[in-house]
Formats: sequence, C-alpha cells, structure tokens
Amino acid sequence: MKAIVANRLIDGEVVYWNHGAWKTRFGEAELFEADDAAEAAVAQANVPTQVVDCYLIDVAPEADGYAPTAFRERVKATGPQNHPQHGKQAEGGHDIELIKQAHGIARSAGRHNLIKLKK
Amino acid sequence: MYRYDAIDRAFVEDRAAQFKAQVARRLAGEISEDQFKPLRLMNGLYLQLHAYMLRISIPYGTLSTTQLRKLAWIARTYDKGYGHFTTRQNLQFHWIKLRDVPDILDHLASVEMHALQTSGNCIRNVTSDPRAGATAEEIEDPRVWSELIRQWAALHPEFSFLPRKFKIAVTASPHDRTAARLHDIGLLMRKGREGLGFEVIVGGGMGRTPYVGPTIREFLPAEHLMSYLEAILRIYNRHGRRDNIYKARIKILVAQLGAEEFARQVEAEWEAIDRPSLDLPQAEIERVRAGFAAPAFETLPGRSDAFEAAKAADYALARFARNNVHPHKQPGYAIVDISLKAPGETPGDATGDQMDAIADLADAYSFGEVRVTHEQNLVLAHVKLDDVAAVFAGLKAIGLASANINLVSDIIACPGLDYCALANARAIPIAQDIAVRFANAETAEKIGELKIKISGCINACGHHHVGHIGILGVDKKGEEFYQLSLGGSAAEDAEVGKILGPAVPADKVTDAVDQMIEVYLRERHAGERFIDTYRRVGLVPFKEAVYAEAH
Ligand code: SF4
Repeated sequence: MKAIVANRLIDGEVVYWNHGAWKTRFGEAELFEADDAAEAAVAQANVPTQVVDCYLIDVAPEADGYAPTAFRERVKATGPQNHPQHGKQAEGGHDIELIKQAHGIARSAGRHNLIKLKK
Repeated sequence: MYRYDAIDRAFVEDRAAQFKAQVARRLAGEISEDQFKPLRLMNGLYLQLHAYMLRISIPYGTLSTTQLRKLAWIARTYDKGYGHFTTRQNLQFHWIKLRDVPDILDHLASVEMHALQTSGNCIRNVTSDPRAGATAEEIEDPRVWSELIRQWAALHPEFSFLPRKFKIAVTASPHDRTAARLHDIGLLMRKGREGLGFEVIVGGGMGRTPYVGPTIREFLPAEHLMSYLEAILRIYNRHGRRDNIYKARIKILVAQLGAEEFARQVEAEWEAIDRPSLDLPQAEIERVRAGFAAPAFETLPGRSDAFEAAKAADYALARFARNNVHPHKQPGYAIVDISLKAPGETPGDATGDQMDAIADLADAYSFGEVRVTHEQNLVLAHVKLDDVAAVFAGLKAIGLASANINLVSDIIACPGLDYCALANARAIPIAQDIAVRFANAETAEKIGELKIKISGCINACGHHHVGHIGILGVDKKGEEFYQLSLGGSAAEDAEVGKILGPAVPADKVTDAVDQMIEVYLRERHAGERFIDTYRRVGLVPFKEAVYAEAH
C-alpha cells in the first residue's frame, strides 16, 4: 500500500495527497492499493508551484490503522524526538499515536524488515 | 570585531534583494525547483524533513551581542524559538518558511550578517579559534586572516562553482581548536625569521573518505597568503573530479597525486601567477587588523581574591572554574566556555531567550562579544576573574551552567534523522541518552577528557571520524544501527578513528560507551586521558568489552 508525501513549497510543511488536495496529517492521506494508480496520482499531485520533493511512500497496516513503513517517513509524519512539542506530534491524535507505537514496536522487537528507507 | 564598510554592506544588501526576486520568481512558477535549488543553496536555504532550514554564517565564529539578539529575535519570530549551533560555527534554524526567507535575510543584513557561503560548492565560512584574541598561546589573532579570506572568497568569480564545497581553517595557537588538519585547507600561523607566516595543510577532510591533511608548505610568508590560496584553488578547479561527486573534494585530488606532486603543481602555478595583483596591500591588512584590536582591558592583578573566595565557598562554581574557565593572555581575565550540552538537552541548541540572556552577560562582562566553537558551545572570551561568579550565576539562571567542557557529556551531535533529509539514523537521542547516563558531574570529572562525536550519516557533520569515541548512524535493513570507532582526534595530533567492530542497535550504544569507559578506567595510568590509554593499549581490550556478550 502506498501514499503520496511532499513538502509544501511556500512553507515546507509536510503534506499528504488525498483526492486532489493536500492534507497536513498522515491520517488524512489517500492510500493506494495498486502501484499504477499511485504512480498516476503522483503525476497529478506533483505541481511544482505547490509542492517540492513529492514521492510515494510505503504504508503498512498496524493494529487499527496504517503507518508509513520507513522510519524516516514516520519521523516526517510526526516530528523530531528531541522536541515533542514541535511538528505534527504536537497536535496528538490517533494517527500520530499509531505511528509512534509502530515505531516502538519495530525498533524494540527488532523487526528489521518492517522499516524500509525510501530508495 | 571587524565592522562592515560601505562595500560589504552594499554587497550583502544586494544579495538579499537578489534572492528576494528569485524567491518571487520561484513562487510564481517562472523558475523550476531544479533552477531554484542552486540559488537557494547559495543563500544557505535547505529543504529538510519537516521544513526549510536556513544556515546562517557566523564568520570565524564571532558574534556581536547585537547580532546574537537579532538571531534570538529571528528564532522567536520566524522559527520555533530556538536555533542550533553547528560544527561549522554557524547557526541553523530548522523550521523556516520559504515565504519568510527574504525578510529574514533583510533582518540579517541589518546587523551585518548573511547566509552566504554556508552551502553549495563554494569557499565556505572560514573556521577559526574560538579563543582568538584571548589566549596567550597565539601568535596573533587568526581572525585577521580569516576575515581577509572571507572578503577574498565572497563572490570570487573563479571559485564560485568549485567541484565541491571548500572549507578553510585558520589558527595561530599550538593547540588546535579548529580541526585544521581536517579541512580542505588548514593554515597554522608560524613565526619565522622573515616574520609571520603559515604552515599550509591541504586535503584533509571527513565525510565518506576521511583524511588528515598533509603539509604542503612549511612556511608561507603571510603577505603572500592570497596568491598562494589562489594557486591552490586553481589547481583544484582545474583537476578536481567534477565527474564524480564522491571524488570531487580536494582531499581525493591530493591523495591521488600525492602531497609532493600536488605541492609541486601549486608551487609552479604560484610562480607563474601575478602575485602583486593578488596579494593584499599592507594597508588593507592593517585596516582589517585594526578591526580586531584588543578591547580596553583593565590593568588587574593576575589573581582575584573575590573569585578565589567564591570558589572556596561554592563547590559548583569551583567545578565550573575547573572545566569551563581557561587562562587569558591579560592578567585578571579568563576565557569562559558556555556549554550547550546540558545532559538531556539537544547538543548545540539554544533558545532565543537563552541567546538574549547570553548577550546581556556578554555586554556586562565580555566586551559585547560571543564566540561559537566547532564543538557546538559558546565562549565569553574576555571575562574578568572578578566577574566569573556573576557569569556563572547568570548561566545557572538560564540552565546553561553545565561544567562539562571536554567531558563525556560534551557531545557533538549533528541533527540526524530527527531533521536531516540525508540521515540514516538519529543522532540527538543517542547523545541525550549518553549524556544522561553520565550526568553525574563527579563521575564525568573522574573520567576526564573524552570527546564523543555522533553523525547521523557518513557525511560526518558530527565529526564522528575524529571523536575519541565516534558514533556513526547506519541503516541496516531499514533499522537504525550505530558503528562505533575509537581513537580519533581533531586536535593538533589529528587522527581518524578506527572502527571497533560490527554496528550495534540504538539501545546498545550507551552501554557500549559505558563498557569502553570501564576499560579505560581499569587500564589507565596516572595522568592518562581516554585517548592516551587507547593509544597505549590499542583497540583490542575495548573491543573485547563491547562484544563480550556476542562471543
Ligand atoms: S552527518 Fe548526515 S545526518 Fe548528520 S547533518 Fe550531516 S548530512 Fe545530516
């Protein structure tokens, strides 16, 4: 499963594509089952006057929702660990909690294959 | 400190106006991101994970209090209330919006600052000794020459598009606090029979292929510095590997040619070059030198009874004095290090309010000047011994009185995967964890000098290659692992550390550091620092301790 992430051009905010609009939370991202649908959506989403660094990320099911598989993408979707009040994690919410838990599970249980960096 | 003249001022204002127009064109869609990226990088603007990052140049690590207050104000107005001091003596803001950058650059220009030469393939901000002008060790204030190089390098048409970035360090003390041998060019000031000069080192560097740079000239008369630098840069510009980014730094060229052949080519170029038109007139050197004249020190006794009494009464102050206070060339004065490494905090971070408070302390007690070290700390360079207790109290009030300079918790860490788009792994939480484990000041003092340096990827912004203990974040099948190395040094005895063994997972790093420290405490001879013991006993005992469980 995939989602589309980018940084908004004007302020760098991390944004996720959802049916023609950019959303600021991972929990609002449109999820693509099929790779070709995802590729087509990226082509539509990547408007250079709106976003930079637009690409597909892998997403995997978690307990009751979804989380990015790459650790880097989890950091992007939540915020820096050293300043818990900065970034999207400051707002809290189910999607943030889920990603944070996902990262805890992946790291402490040593499930190496769960986390993949985008190549 | 050096003040801009009309030319400096007009130049920086012009560049800010130019970038303002470039941002407007980017937002209007008139230029693409591919076209815009090199332009924004020339102005210190990167895109990181969560936002844009603006890297502001602090030439040779010297700041006036007016400038520091402006940085504090920018932190509060345009960022999240803090800034991050880097291993290049610069300051980074991590939450910058593109739309605000033109205004920020205008504000910086108003206090003689900019973000030029902090990124891109140009000659970067010159590194210098944070104790310049204050230590009795030095031959003269190395910032005179750093400033001359800054002026020479800014917008030099021949060197604006080098094969890769280019870093120069200048120091005038036998104790190297600039990591000169790890720079593209390191200049060590020497006094010869002919007067002032430099030992010239070329081709050091960290990153993927670390090298301790070789000396290519033992003594270069100082008045020929510009023509000689020009000759080095020309050889690099001509032969540097523009075809391969991993081989493009001058260190690769020097290593491939060999130091002798590289030196021969530089000398030949230098013979052919029109030196009189490139070397600076003495009057210009004197003009810049005047900008670094010593402040109006008072004539004081070398010992302060007030300070001695205060130390005797306050154990914490005595500890601070042992670790953070250093001798000054002027009797009755001291150099005071401000640690930005309170255990548990982010190495190198300071809030806007802390910056303001430090500016107040510098105005009251240190001639209105603050220094930034490449080890991500700050320095008040000229504090009267009589005033050290007041400075300590002021620092305590803002949580910056950690007496841990050069100790185990004084850790360099790059932003790593918490911020950096290039990172493999996080660096900050590792630093925090180690610092908290060794937060006990007595334990830390018992361990003594120990330089731990952490990078989140092989680019080595956290100088892990030259840490007594180096820690490098690597990506093993998508999980964060850390490769440990031992025995590096960035000082005058520069050395690249040796890899200890297989990388360890994040939650084992602090234990591994602990185990290595145990080995040191067990093996050390009287007076030996960690690095000395390592050099005597070698890698094996440390390796056995860390990997014992695996055997
Ligand atoms: S060392 Fe790597 S992770 Fe750390 S700041 Fe440099 S590029 Fe980023």
